[in-house]
Amino acid sequence: MLMLQNVDVRRGRLTTLRRVSLSLERGKTLAVVGESGAGKSTLIAAILGLVRLSGGGVSWDGGPVELCRPALVMQEPRAAFNPALSLHYSVMEPVIARKFELSPDRLLRLCDGLELPVDLLDRRPTEVSIGQAQRVGILRALIVSPQLVLFDEPLSALDAVTQKHTARLIADLQREEGFAALIVTHDLGYAAAYADEIAVLRKGAVEEVAEASTFVEAPRTDYGRTLRDAAFALGALERAA
Amino acid sequence: MWALGGVMRSVVVLVLVLVALALFGPLMAPSDPTAIDIPNRLKPPGEGWLLGTDALGRDIFSRLLHGARWSLGLAFFVSALGLIIGTTLGLVAAVGGRLADWLVMRVTDTFLAFPELVAAVVIAGLLGASTESLIFALTVTGWMRYARVARGVGLSLRSQGYVVQAQLAGVSAFSIARWHYLPALMPSLMVVWTGMFARAILGISTLGFLGFGVQPPLPEWGTMLLDARVHMRSTPLQMIWPGMAVLVCVLAINLAGDALRDAIADEKQT
Amino acid sequence: MIQIVASLIGRAVVVVAAAAFITFALLWNAPGDPALAIALARYDALVDADLVNQVREEAGMSDGFWAAFQAWIAPLMTGDFGNSSVNGRPVLADLLAALSYTFPLALFALTIGLVISLPLAVLATRYPGSLLDRFTVGLASIGVAIPAFWLGLLLILLFAVQLSWLPAMGARTPYHAILPALTLGLGVAASLTRIIRSGILEARGKQFLPAFRRRGVAETVVARDHIAPHAAVPVVTVIGLELAFLLEGLVAVEVIFARPGFGSFLVEAILARDYPQVQAAVIIAALIFVLINLGIDVFYRLLDPRMDVGLGGRDA
Repeated sequence: MLMLQNVDVRRGRLTTLRRVSLSLERGKTLAVVGESGAGKSTLIAAILGLVRLSGGGVSWDGGPVELCRPALVMQEPRAAFNPALSLHYSVMEPVIARKFELSPDRLLRLCDGLELPVDLLDRRPTEVSIGQAQRVGILRALIVSPQLVLFDEPLSALDAVTQKHTARLIADLQREEGFAALIVTHDLGYAAAYADEIAVLRKGAVEEVAEASTFVEAPRTDYGRTLRDAAFALGALERAA
Repeated sequence: MWALGGVMRSVVVLVLVLVALALFGPLMAPSDPTAIDIPNRLKPPGEGWLLGTDALGRDIFSRLLHGARWSLGLAFFVSALGLIIGTTLGLVAAVGGRLADWLVMRVTDTFLAFPELVAAVVIAGLLGASTESLIFALTVTGWMRYARVARGVGLSLRSQGYVVQAQLAGVSAFSIARWHYLPALMPSLMVVWTGMFARAILGISTLGFLGFGVQPPLPEWGTMLLDARVHMRSTPLQMIWPGMAVLVCVLAINLAGDALRDAIADEKQT
Repeated sequence: MIQIVASLIGRAVVVVAAAAFITFALLWNAPGDPALAIALARYDALVDADLVNQVREEAGMSDGFWAAFQAWIAPLMTGDFGNSSVNGRPVLADLLAALSYTFPLALFALTIGLVISLPLAVLATRYPGSLLDRFTVGLASIGVAIPAFWLGLLLILLFAVQLSWLPAMGARTPYHAILPALTLGLGVAASLTRIIRSGILEARGKQFLPAFRRRGVAETVVARDHIAPHAAVPVVTVIGLELAFLLEGLVAVEVIFARPGFGSFLVEAILARDYPQVQAAVIIAALIFVLINLGIDVFYRLLDPRMDVGLGGRDA
């Protein structure tokens, strides 16, 4: 289980995360929503240990997060791959670095699940579509069967049709693989449809955490209500049936 | 690759000619560059000696061709050595954490804080004039620019998505430097390298001329100028050839570097 | 600002100290016995083992590297560079006398460089790509590729030997400075022309200039008020670079023109293995060089406080 306890991150005089406490169990999905600048990316960096915490702690099952081989799916699919190397190289990088025993069967199954032809991996990142690149990004994240996968706006670079399709694939794979998923998004519709819980982040602090359905019906805070109503207005979120 | 412009193409040809000269020049030399022939000393260009003979009757044309191997070959070696050392240190600074970065950059600053050629004169002079001291002196004073460029590009790549992904995947700092930084660095390093290659040619000839470099009777161009200087009045032409050789080589390599830099800038724009 | 300048000064001190240490370590590890070399230089053929040992004691060399380093560095802190191990005279006085020849020569050369390069670059960039522009670029490319010592030899050959217009050897009259200054100045002019030219072209390509022109601001005003400041930054950078170039050129040029000065001082000290002289020359040169670069750095900060330049400002 992922635990964040009173996490503080300060950069210079700027406080980017303030006393953030969250928890996430295996197999579950937590969506973190908020406006840009709310500290969503910093939260991911804090969980992955890419920034120094000024206070609090992050743990997985009581130990350091590295033990669960956390993986990240990035917002910009192509930037996540070295443009000079084949996709195959990038996908195999974690396998080799972690000395993971990858069965050919697993690779085929994952590719199948992500609807990626295996020979696509021989290409360079610029030679595939954005949607395909993002699915290869997911493949790279899942290949060493991590127990925690972080998704940083995984759909925002994709077009509407591809968004739905990719969201579906992620959910299906999660059911098979059983990893904990933390999805950072500004898309409340996506969060409501796929997450078990929703956490609202505002100015670096957690405003509220609630079951996804509860949140959509009745946000507890004013800010949560503002976010929800904005999503209603945009049509991104359908009124509870 | 990029399309070669007209200038670029002729420069490439010229550089290839120079390389061929360094490799095969000595084979084309009509006579032994160190064969002393006192009766025929200080001959003007012409019959028997294409460019005349020096004060000891040695064939200047042959010495010039053999000199290509010393001047160009040594410069190539020294600048390549600097490339390896500087790039390694720069990459260590880029991936090795704050302390390593601080340490490497302070050392680099210190070495850069003194004109390289003056430092090379001091080092080569104190270690005793020999080819080994020359190589040591020019290498020790010739790695800093590579280190700066390697570190600079490395740091700019550090926040790239694929580098973060590699870090998360548990890839070692060495492998990240090797597979993600080094290939991206290559174009910039090549531009620095052409500049340093040219500087090394100038440095070798200057040190040779001051008597701190390649030692006579070896036919290095700077050393040849040192000999020729004494007979400036009687045979002024003797002094033209080795200097001309240095000039042409440095010019060709500089132009190649300019063209390379332009090509890279164009590549980035498109 | 004060904090930044203080840290720059701190780095400059480290650089000079490191230069001192490296030089000493180099001398210590140089082949041959330094005490013997000094004794030979001082007493010529009359050297015996006692005399060598005496020299060794005097220089603190018998107690190992650190003791010798301390024996050398302690008086240095008070500005005492010791006496020449060859002629016994105070090193600093001789070195300052040498610099009094070198400074005017360097300034003279820098002036020649500026006088040639500025008008040439300005004229060349008036019509980029024109015959004059290409001629200038070609000439400058050749200029930076010429070895300084060879150019000096050619000038001697032409003006002193063939034409007998100018004196070449020594420094008896001011005329003696013309050929060496020309040698260095032409090299400076070549690299300055290249850099000023591209500085002007770059500044002219900046977005805001067409806007000024559209508003009808006179061409000369645009050049003076908007292009010149942009070209000034690279020019100052280049003066730092030229300084290195000048110092490098000086060594060979002073030797070929048999001129007293820093370069001849250094080369003679090295050849004579006069360790106190070599050390003093290196440290003073490092000090001057670092101080000027420090000034350039401070100048940058005043111009643009956000700019982060390394010590020396020599990386283009």
